[in-house]
Amino acid sequence: MSIFEYNGSALVAMVGKNCFAIASDRRLGVQLQTIATDFQKIYRIHNKLFIGLAGLATDAQTLYQRLVFRNKLYHLREERDMKPETFASLVSAVLYEKRFGPYFCQPVIAGLGDDDKPFICTMDSIGAKELAKDFVVAGTASESLYGACESMFKPDMEAEELFETISQALISAVDRDCLSGWGGHVYLVTPTEVTERILKGRMD
Amino acid sequence: MMKIDFSGLDPSLPVKGNAEDLDDEILAAPSFKLPVTVDFDGFQKAAVQMVKPAKGTTTLAFIFKHGVMVAADSRASMGGYICKALLILNLYKINLYLAASQSVKKIIEINPYMLGTMAGGAADCQFWHRNLGIKCRLHELANKRRISVAGASKLLANILYSYRGMGLSVGTMIAGYDESGAGLYYVDSEGGRLKGTRFSVGSGSPYAYGVLDSGYSFDLSVEDAAELARRAIYHATFRDGASGGVASVYHVGPGGWKKLSGDDVGEMHYSYYPIEPTTVEQEMADVRIA
Repeated sequence: MSIFEYNGSALVAMVGKNCFAIASDRRLGVQLQTIATDFQKIYRIHNKLFIGLAGLATDAQTLYQRLVFRNKLYHLREERDMKPETFASLVSAVLYEKRFGPYFCQPVIAGLGDDDKPFICTMDSIGAKELAKDFVVAGTASESLYGACESMFKPDMEAEELFETISQALISAVDRDCLSGWGGHVYLVTPTEVTERILKGRMD
Repeated sequence: MMKIDFSGLDPSLPVKGNAEDLDDEILAAPSFKLPVTVDFDGFQKAAVQMVKPAKGTTTLAFIFKHGVMVAADSRASMGGYICKALLILNLYKINLYLAASQSVKKIIEINPYMLGTMAGGAADCQFWHRNLGIKCRLHELANKRRISVAGASKLLANILYSYRGMGLSVGTMIAGYDESGAGLYYVDSEGGRLKGTRFSVGSGSPYAYGVLDSGYSFDLSVEDAAELARRAIYHATFRDGASGGVASVYHVGPGGWKKLSGDDVGEMHYSYYPIEPTTVEQEMADVRIA
């Protein structure tokens, strides 16, 4: 069994019209046993930048703490928030620093950049960036998520429709994966507000 | 002197030798062609590994005053694709935990008064249960009486013992009602056969045992026993990643088996633990512009 499948996770981020949504499942497990059903995988860096971390839960927590430290230092020096593209490069550098003993995480980064233009990207565990214009996925349910997103995604969706689409994609994908699910967590971010919602899903 | 014909008493021979070819196939022990490979042992080891992860399931059965209660989930998860790995000599990253189906029948009806549960390799369980059903029917025809649960489980156990070490993966419970009352046996592909009153088999069995053992009493009514079985399966599907789908509950009584319910465990969760509306933590408030 792969180390990436030890805890189980499902993450997806999608771009809409001047907004983005990032969603995760809520399960924390140890191989097949479910330990918690309210585990947080998406973290807020600042109001226009979110990072989700799939993979080994301990590495996800440690990596998040490192990134918060680096972000706060940046904020003190530059006296402004980090742009999402810059943050993505930061994450990539932090991951490649551990090239020969990596963090077993797959990050999904989503943010609003200059002029509130949505930005999403994902990386593998050693920092290879994959920028996308429509959606990015990560986790044990990634193959099902690719299929669900590919069929449900439309460009330039408004906030509410984007929320519906990402929720449906997440729920239908995790229903095919034994290691993720047990509910969903969706953040919908527009230039003016951040909405956090919990999804009701199958608890098996 | 007339020679007495005893051939009819021999259960493994047909009385009249007309349909010999067909009977030979049915009555002979199933024989399997062995694959032609360079490394037979290595191939067998790999084949055993292919079936290994697939005991993802929860099944349970218990005897009580009114017979036997049998319950199971319905999720099937896929093992890896070994055939491709051997040919192409590099392993694909195959998702071992893809839920292949949410609606697999794990309770197999051997005959109208006996049930078998499926855990382990689906193909193995389906084939050998059907084979057991055939043998039970032939026993009935030859001896003019139904086979006992002990006898049926012994037939299966002996067959599985003869294939021991060859990679069959079967963890089954044979539940039925015969002349001596309710019968429940656990039979597995290692050749083990145990008589008992409460069993649970599969990756979700520890969780099911927790609920089953604390709620069990011999004097349960049929509805209470069904609810206990259903609840135990539900709790196993909640905690175990490889169990889920639909919780089926069957009851085997003096008149045979009857399916009592098939409930989706996703919906069961919200009926046992309905969502309380939570207080809103942070809400945007309109700011009054002075």
